[in-house]
Amino acid sequence: MHLIESAKFNKCKNKAYTDVPGNLVAYACKVSVDKGYEGFLAFDAKSALIKHYEQTLNATHFRGLRMFIETSAALRLISQYFKT
Amino acid sequence: MGLIKEPKNVDFSTMSEPWTEKELNDFRKIMQGIKEKNAKRKIKGIRTIKKTNNPPDKSTNLQPCISASSETKEQ
Repeated sequence: MHLIESAKFNKCKNKAYTDVPGNLVAYACKVSVDKGYEGFLAFDAKSALIKHYEQTLNATHFRGLRMFIETSAALRLISQYFKT
Repeated sequence: MGLIKEPKNVDFSTMSEPWTEKELNDFRKIMQGIKEKNAKRKIKGIRTIKKTNNPPDKSTNLQPCISASSETKEQ
C-alpha cells in the first residue's frame, strides 16, 4: 500500500466521516485476496501509530516503520467490513 | 461501516519509501513461512473433520428386545 491519506476536509477534529482508513485497508486486503496474494498487505506507519495498527488492524511490525497484514488478519478485516 | 476506528485527531497517512532488495527478500521469507503454516493448519483441519465424519456402525449389534411384562399380560 504505497500511499493512503485522509482528504483535507476529513482531517483532525472536524472530520466529516469517521472510520474511513480502517475500511480502506480492509478493501485493500480484499483486493490482495482477489489478485491471489492471499491478503498480504504491506505499508509504512508513523512510529506513534505502530501499536495502534497492531491492535486495530492486527498488523505485524516488520522493521523500522514497515508493517504488514498477513492472511488471517486480512480475512478478519474483510469479514468485518464486508459483513452482509 | 464504522467497525474499525482510529483515535481522535489522528489522520491516517502513509507514503511508503522504496523497499531495498534485502528488505524484499527478508519479507518474502516471512511470507513464505506464514503460507506454509497456513497450509499445515488447513491439512490438520481436514484430518480432524475426516475423523468425526464416520460414526461407528451399530446396525450389526441390534437384537430383538422381548420384555417380560408383555409375556405376562398375554397369559
